[in-house]
Amino acid sequence: MNAVETNSLTRYYDSLCAVDHLTISVNNEIFALLGPNGSGKTTTVLMLTTLLRPSEGSAAICGHDVVSEGEEVRKRLSYVPQDMAVDIKLTGRENVLLFAKLYGITKPKDKTDEVLAIMDLSDRADDLIRTYSGGMRRRLELAQALVHEPDVLFLDEPTIGLDVAARKKIWEHVRMLRKNGMTIFVTTHYMDEADQFCDRVGIISHGSIAALDTPSALKAQLEKDVITVKVSGTPGPVDIPGVHVVGTEGREITFTADNGREAMPLVARALETQGVTVTSLSLREPTLDDVFLHAVGTGEEPGHFDYQQFRTMLRRRK
Amino acid sequence: MRGIREYILRDMIKWFRSPVSVVSMLVMPAAWLIFVGLALPVSFTGNYLDFITPGILVMTMLSSSLNGGTLLMFDKILGFLNKFLALPTPRESILFGKILFITIRGAIQATIILVIAVLIGATILSPVQYGMIYLILLLFGFLMSACATTIALYLGDHDSYAAFNTMISMPLFFTSSALMPYSVMPAWLRTIAHLNPLSYAIDAVRAAGTGTIPFLQIGLLVAMGGVVIAICMQMFRRVTV
Repeated sequence: MNAVETNSLTRYYDSLCAVDHLTISVNNEIFALLGPNGSGKTTTVLMLTTLLRPSEGSAAICGHDVVSEGEEVRKRLSYVPQDMAVDIKLTGRENVLLFAKLYGITKPKDKTDEVLAIMDLSDRADDLIRTYSGGMRRRLELAQALVHEPDVLFLDEPTIGLDVAARKKIWEHVRMLRKNGMTIFVTTHYMDEADQFCDRVGIISHGSIAALDTPSALKAQLEKDVITVKVSGTPGPVDIPGVHVVGTEGREITFTADNGREAMPLVARALETQGVTVTSLSLREPTLDDVFLHAVGTGEEPGHFDYQQFRTMLRRRK
Repeated sequence: MRGIREYILRDMIKWFRSPVSVVSMLVMPAAWLIFVGLALPVSFTGNYLDFITPGILVMTMLSSSLNGGTLLMFDKILGFLNKFLALPTPRESILFGKILFITIRGAIQATIILVIAVLIGATILSPVQYGMIYLILLLFGFLMSACATTIALYLGDHDSYAAFNTMISMPLFFTSSALMPYSVMPAWLRTIAHLNPLSYAIDAVRAAGTGTIPFLQIGLLVAMGGVVIAICMQMFRRVTV
């Protein structure tokens, strides 16, 4: 039984199809739903967390249907929306304790202390949230989400608006939770984060999955690595298996290679043996950005913008 | 229902930590009590303060309820509602917690107004009479906060709701029996005043003050409260699924 299982999950806002027959299964991993704004990420998460009814299709969390078994589903998940909703007039401890009590934890105070410690917030626990930084507020939300030890954790844009250090810290915590067996479902539009920290990535565009695999497999499918060499002198042909010259421009030669990192020293050695001095070497590996653009296209927003539809959509989402 | 106590406690702490809003909501009713209750020269009663105090108590409940309408709307706008809805706690607890909090808050404010009234000369009543008055105020507060919450959820944004609040509160107050008895009202106003739910609460509090039990008005408030809470739950379900 998978933690998250969807079958042709679909949601319309009037005539706009926000999520289009989405079928995915996620289990025991950090799964990132990656997509441009308005591609259906949040709508998907809202349906999975029982906050929005699917128009068609079904979804189940740990085997429980999100429509007919809402309460069972909610017992197994935690949801951190992107709004960063923590009460600034309460202390960190009060915010977490509220959730511990709402979840009906047997020893709410002890559990609160425990999750605050996990999120490195113990020393600031009795300060008002008003004095917390963005990263700390986000960690506090994670602490709130952890009090009932959920099987699945939904994070909607968990690092949006945070600085680099805070983002890294959030991800370290998420990785740690994953190691302890939690399934984590993240939406993001930060490619580098999906690449670095997630086990599998689903690229979503116009409500359907355009590509789904591990970040490295996605990148490997796409294109070869590109090596650019600057030389002084006139080189002859270079013969290394798997490496091809694709262009020469002045003293700059461009090669492609299956494995750029290994091919680089070979290229340099081959050129030097011809008596040519290599002055610089550079390597460009495809990033998830390339995969993303390839899958989604530079795709502008859908040509025609219906303001009324946009309003209904926003209203339903809130 | 599980969770109601926690939701009320959350709002209560937040309220006590914003002293400005605690005090500011008391200024208007206190001003009416002192500047109108003590100063207005009227001929239909010897103690106008005793006459107007029930009206001001109900007004305090009314303005607290109308202000409270924004609370659930803001929870929705700021994302708290979605977090609460994703909990296994019964969803209706969110709504009832909010309405009860607004009602309790109104009762606390009404208590302060009542103390001021007694300090400046209102007649002291028996504990049973005060008990009755509180019952009426709580019923009225429940009715009005359910109303306000429903309308705020329906309107969905703060500006529209603030406009609605401004539009409704003064006319409701002036067309009730708060300031004068029915006997001295012009006929057209008397008709309106008899239909105004504020009048039911005010008349009931007055009746309790004179020692009679206002069954009719209490019955009306309970019935209206029942209808409004049903509509309110419907609205809540509509905006949450």
